[in-house]
Amino acid sequence: MIRNHLSTIIITIVTAAMGVIAAISFGKMHHPEELFPSDGLTGKVMLSDYFEGIRGTNGDTEVYLFDSGLEGGTALVCGGAHPNEAASFLSTVVMLENLRVACGRVIIIPRLNNSAFTCSDPMEGFPASYDIPTKNGTRRFRLGSRVTNPLDQWPDPLVFSQYPSNQQLSGFETRNINRAYPGRPDGNLTERIAYSIVQLIEKEKVNIAFDIHESSPEVPIVNVIVYHENYEDIAMSAILGLEMAGLQFSPETSPKNFHGLSHREWGDYTNAIPFLMETSNPSMGRLRGRTDVDLVLNGYCDNYKQAKETGALRIAYREDTGEPMTHRVGRHIAGVVELINSYNLYYPDMQIVIENLPDYEMIMEKGVGEFLNN
Amino acid sequence: MLYIIYKLILAYVTFVVIIEFLKEKKWRNQLAMAMVLLVFILRLLQIK
Repeated sequence: MIRNHLSTIIITIVTAAMGVIAAISFGKMHHPEELFPSDGLTGKVMLSDYFEGIRGTNGDTEVYLFDSGLEGGTALVCGGAHPNEAASFLSTVVMLENLRVACGRVIIIPRLNNSAFTCSDPMEGFPASYDIPTKNGTRRFRLGSRVTNPLDQWPDPLVFSQYPSNQQLSGFETRNINRAYPGRPDGNLTERIAYSIVQLIEKEKVNIAFDIHESSPEVPIVNVIVYHENYEDIAMSAILGLEMAGLQFSPETSPKNFHGLSHREWGDYTNAIPFLMETSNPSMGRLRGRTDVDLVLNGYCDNYKQAKETGALRIAYREDTGEPMTHRVGRHIAGVVELINSYNLYYPDMQIVIENLPDYEMIMEKGVGEFLNN
Repeated sequence: MLYIIYKLILAYVTFVVIIEFLKEKKWRNQLAMAMVLLVFILRLLQIK
């Protein structure tokens, strides 16, 4: 009897201690890392300033404004729609911490789905964070989930019916912001975040908008620029420019019958010219081996090397160097710069002139950390 | 509404497991129940 009570007490104490440690660890995920915007920053607001329906939720996020004071166009750059795509978030952080705008305005949202930064994908074995060495030390960044935290939106339906198209998708996709556009004011949290973004695009009269992503090396939509069919000329001109700089991007038209995605709905529901870019991230792929920080940052995996060498699959993977973070961030920033240059050719009255961003070679040579402030 | 129903179900199941945990005489079974309770309580408290 005494032994039974003793085991109950010991197990209760041990479990409570584990619970407290786990609670502290999970609680830390809700504290976003500090960002250090460049001198060019002119304002910072919250996404809830564009739609009250997300104020006080984990979906609310910082919106950084860079206004040149000169009349011109407005660009919106969004990272972190899927926080498990590390180069998406990090590319916008590098832009945020270096950007100066000489004409027009640039709006940057590094954590588009802030709620998804507060958890990680179950059964994937992703590291919770990764460190980037910088000039003055090391900075730690969260590696989040593809979808909104289930604490903020739960349970998922068995089948997700996309609004307003009624397209049927897997229930899991109900928490994917890149299936939720244009969103709705009385929808679930993900739909309300999507609605807030659309409100921002309309209220700020955004002319060109970027949604930065990463994908598995083996999926067909990788190393691409996805464009809305109305703006093919701008995309092709930019891809040509990037090709001349030695960076290959495949052009992909946004499918007309695949709804909820930024490159489809931003183009259909707003006046913005949307582009979505993807880089190849081996840490997200099904063929990957050990999923650790090294794979997230260096993107080198023997499994992908072997798979590429068999020739059985079309895999976006460089056998010799892998797909390191420098390469992925460099591609994204080069893509944004070239698409804005291309936009300027077609809209000379609504110019956007951006400066002080590192180019692909600089990032490859010096590393991402060289362009982070702290 | 579905969210509240799920929460109520979770609270009920947690209560049942706690009762069984206290009644259980084998420490190995208690340990297994404690691991289940850990996850349930963290979810009930909106931590995990």
